[in-house]
Amino acid sequence: MDFVWDQRELILEGFWRTIQLAALAGGLSLVFGTLLAVMRVCPIPPLRWAGATYVTVVRNTPLTLVFIFSTFGLPRLEIRFSFFVFAVVALTVYTSSFVCEAVRSGINSVASGEIEAARAIGLPFRQTLSLVVLPQAFRAIVPLLSSVFIALTKNTSIAVAFSVTEATSILRRLQNQDASATFPLLIVTAAGYLVITLALSFAFSRLERRVAAAR
Amino acid sequence: MKFPIRRLVLLFAVLALVLAAGCGDDDGNGESRAPEVTVEEEVEFPAGSTMAELADAGTIRIGTKFDQPGLGNISLETDEPEGFDVEIGKLIASKLGIDEDDIEFIETISANREAFITGDRVDIVIATYTINDERKQQVDFAGPYYVAGQDLLVREDDDSINGPDDLAGKRVCAVTGSTPIARIRTSYPEAEPVEFETYTECVDQLEAGQIDAVSTDDIILAGYAADPKYEGKFRVVGEVFSTEPYGIGLPKGDTEFRNFLNDVLEDAYEDGTWEEIFDATLGASGETAPEPPPVDRYP
Amino acid sequence: MSDQLVALSKVNKHFGPLHVLKDIDLGVARGQVVVVLGPSGSGKSTLCRVINRLEPIDSGTITLDGRAVPAEGKALARYRADIGMVFQSFNLFSHKTALGNVALGPMKVRGRAKADAERTARELLDRVGLADKADAIPAQLSGGQQQRVAIARALAMEPKLLLFDEPTSALDPEMISDVLDVMIELAQSGMTMIVVTHEMGFARQAADQVVFMDEGEIVERGTPAEFFDHPTSTRAKDFLSKILAY
Ligand SMILES: Nc1ncnc2c1ncn2[C@@H]1O[C@H](COP(=O)(O)OP(=O)(O)O)[C@@H](O)[C@H]1O
Ligand SMILES: [Mg+2]
Repeated sequence: MDFVWDQRELILEGFWRTIQLAALAGGLSLVFGTLLAVMRVCPIPPLRWAGATYVTVVRNTPLTLVFIFSTFGLPRLEIRFSFFVFAVVALTVYTSSFVCEAVRSGINSVASGEIEAARAIGLPFRQTLSLVVLPQAFRAIVPLLSSVFIALTKNTSIAVAFSVTEATSILRRLQNQDASATFPLLIVTAAGYLVITLALSFAFSRLERRVAAAR
Repeated sequence: MKFPIRRLVLLFAVLALVLAAGCGDDDGNGESRAPEVTVEEEVEFPAGSTMAELADAGTIRIGTKFDQPGLGNISLETDEPEGFDVEIGKLIASKLGIDEDDIEFIETISANREAFITGDRVDIVIATYTINDERKQQVDFAGPYYVAGQDLLVREDDDSINGPDDLAGKRVCAVTGSTPIARIRTSYPEAEPVEFETYTECVDQLEAGQIDAVSTDDIILAGYAADPKYEGKFRVVGEVFSTEPYGIGLPKGDTEFRNFLNDVLEDAYEDGTWEEIFDATLGASGETAPEPPPVDRYP
Repeated sequence: MSDQLVALSKVNKHFGPLHVLKDIDLGVARGQVVVVLGPSGSGKSTLCRVINRLEPIDSGTITLDGRAVPAEGKALARYRADIGMVFQSFNLFSHKTALGNVALGPMKVRGRAKADAERTARELLDRVGLADKADAIPAQLSGGQQQRVAIARALAMEPKLLLFDEPTSALDPEMISDVLDVMIELAQSGMTMIVVTHEMGFARQAADQVVFMDEGEIVERGTPAEFFDHPTSTRAKDFLSKILAY
């Protein structure tokens, strides 16, 4: 346990990286996932088709493969960023497809009469979406998004194999320095993830209660 | 959601094609084979010793690397591990009366070697395994049977790196949990350390231009530089900045077994087997065999 | 035909094989109130929906103020903004307050300032008798209250024409008169209205013209007195006998 305590700074640094990964990829996934969902419901068939294909392909690809594509594939295409950015790209590409499906289910839950009413007062497609449909869709899918983001937080640990010094890679490194500390390290690391995901669920359940009042 | 089966089938078909293409990609690496070692017919060991157990079982589990050309490597065409470490393993097996077909080679990567020994997943580890005090707290080492030194592999056309002091701001890759990555971190903090599970991944990244150098033992790097697959792409810098005595890892405290392994090594030094093994593996790229290092029978 | 606000000429509409509107000719003069009635499935809702082009038509022409209905894009959105629509099921934006529902269009479509839009919205809520419900969300309002908010929302756009598609059909009887009162007040103030309803009282009191539809056709039209007291077609007679049976 002493060893773990001595290494607390490194461990915290690892978790800080994990949080950065999750937050960045989460934010970007929310944006891209929503765009994808909008593509999937928009009146232009090629966009709908593209959105559906993206989701089908990406959702059925193991995340590790997406990571390999970003970390080993992109450099071959002369696209070079830091490994952290590659990890954010991989997590975003992957998580967007799940956000998309969540948002799409939210969009489908919005009463069609309200959409009609929005069109009837002269709101164009974009504003109908942004003022009427999406605000309600997001309220409806807060619990869904919560689990998507918890999964994302845990998925950040895949980055361990792709040269990002997040919490799990720090665990591996320290475990390597002192194999006898494996259990304390595992417990501390698992607890760290638990703290993050519990904080996330807590924040989301508060959000859920707040938006429930407005529904 | 309804599952689009047709698209899935298509995806599988594409994957299968890619795999098939990969398999057909013969790199024509048909270099010289290792020397034949004669398996001892009659072996006798003290009852209850590890040697006796292994000899009785007629099999041994040896941890080695599967991705290090010249040392421990599985090439696509043979599907069998080959290299210096692998041959040392066969030598030891032969002295235990175990046929080389009865050896179980298990892949160990840098990060899991101690764990594989302490967890009884392997009997010994011969895997470019640097002897050091930290590791000696968990496992014991016979040997060293070779002394390497940490060096750098860079792209052929990159003349900005000519030694470890040129690493500031450069991305330097070594495998997770290895001595080289630890050394880069502590001794060259200006460098940006990059970690992957295997050297193949590091070399892949170097080839793709995403990183600037791969760092590990010179002899491993020489293996990559000489690999026909990477012909003309890389060069070994040649400024060694560490001493890496390779040992055979075994469970801690088994001194009897350790003495046996050391005896086997010393015999191989004397009767020329060691040199033969070197010439057939690492020496294949033109290197001449150095003097074998004296084994360290530490207390 | 000189002061026609809306004019439909030979309008046809199909849903797949179903011929829902058949050669519809209909003119509504400025300030007129037209009541449309007919059996369920006769195409009344579709008529409303093609007028503000929530549905495209297959053939024929529809003009508002002498101009043809734009096919799509910004021009279409602007066109719709000039036509208010009140639905059977209210269709209030459930995430917005009554005030928010009424002020949204003026702000986002007409580009009015928020304070300005909200002031007008409060006036309109007052006009439909709901000044005290400005901050309530739809779920907190009764059906009758929701429908009056919906009317205020339509009015907020300062429309040239108001379409009502069975505005009282989903309401409990005691709330119907609240809504009809508002509609009658609107009719008297000179608003041009097309109202799909079976409320004969309203038709008699407010309508200038009654149009009877059946199976996608306009079968009969006339003043309320003519139509209700002396229907000429058998289909209209049948229909009236059914709704007057109880
Ligand atoms: N979106 C639609 N798709 C297919 N058929 C429809 C659609 N909307 C209405 N219809 C059909 O068109 C006919 C007229 O419907 P509607 O205009 O709603 O009649 P009403 O309002 O007089 O009851 C009905 O047979 C109805 O089933
Ligand atoms: Mg209807």
